[in-house]
Amino acid sequence: MSEEKELISSSIPKHEVPDRKGFLPINANKFDRVFISIVLLVAIHLLWMRFLEAFLPIEIATAISVVLSIFIIWKG
Amino acid sequence: MRRTRTGWLLLSPTLIIMFIFGLFPFIYVLLVGFNDWNPFSARDGLTYIGVDNYRNLVFDNLFLNALGVTIRFTFFAVLSELIIGFLLANLLARDFFGKTLFRIVHTVPLMIAPIAVGAIWRLMTIPGFGPIPYFLDRWFDVSFNIGTSSDQAFLSILIMDIWHWTPFVTLTMLAGLTALPREPVEAAQVDGANRWQIFRHITLPLMRPVILTTVFIRVMDALRTVDEINMLTNGGGPGTSTRTLGIHIFRVVFPQTDYGYGSAMSLLTLYLTIVACWLLFVSLTQVRRNN
Repeated sequence: MSEEKELISSSIPKHEVPDRKGFLPINANKFDRVFISIVLLVAIHLLWMRFLEAFLPIEIATAISVVLSIFIIWKG
Repeated sequence: MRRTRTGWLLLSPTLIIMFIFGLFPFIYVLLVGFNDWNPFSARDGLTYIGVDNYRNLVFDNLFLNALGVTIRFTFFAVLSELIIGFLLANLLARDFFGKTLFRIVHTVPLMIAPIAVGAIWRLMTIPGFGPIPYFLDRWFDVSFNIGTSSDQAFLSILIMDIWHWTPFVTLTMLAGLTALPREPVEAAQVDGANRWQIFRHITLPLMRPVILTTVFIRVMDALRTVDEINMLTNGGGPGTSTRTLGIHIFRVVFPQTDYGYGSAMSLLTLYLTIVACWLLFVSLTQVRRNN
């Protein structure tokens, strides 16, 4: 098993970030997860401003986005 | 260490050019998007207003209408080009009389500049002057006027885009079809598969990466179409029925000189384009990995 892992890690070039299978439905590396977090952050803020800002302040959207981003980067 | 330094040295001209023409304008637009800036207003210079431009944007009916027009246009144009292009590529993969002439004539629209394409189609659709309204009226008794009918105007920009870009799809599909291995098809023929089964279970799965790459390129292009539509419908008319995001941004930034709001719109358009392309890219790479 360790030999197999070694073989896989040696086949990945040093400059490439290895993929990981988390709860996201795709094989995502660290860059992908950061990218998805930013995309969701922007989308949540825009949708919040359109539909919810009249009732709830935008800071809640920021808090949700930050928590979601950390979760995606950590476990995604 | 020495090799790394040489690598960076060789890369530096590209990186400098990318920073000046790519990254710097992006950062500049990002900063302007958070400011109110109209050089001809009473207030001089940039005034920081936070996310107010984006707040106005999500309630701006003109912008949302332009977004809807752009999405509809992209969906129908790319889908039509894909279907027609694939059929034509299958046709061109076979031998028939006049194939070379057909291929040359079919590729001609690709060589024409988009602004000229818009001008040609405008000349062809002017009521009382262009051949399209004339023949539609004479043969089918249909009144065709893209200056008054929004449906006809939208249909015209769709047909123009399909006419202009289908040859590109055909060429990429043809390249994909001619590069396909013969063995799986021959094996299927030996096993008694009919033409539809071969197409459905062999040709289409093998062509999937080519199709996705073509869609990727065409979606990016269609989302930022400005010049030919602007030329054909005189700035997205009648009303705002053919006003795409590119035309809308142009009208806000240049005639109204609202640079802050225009920057916010540009950034949001860039965001939507990147998201759409990333989704396509992920589907493309995941398919390649699975294969």
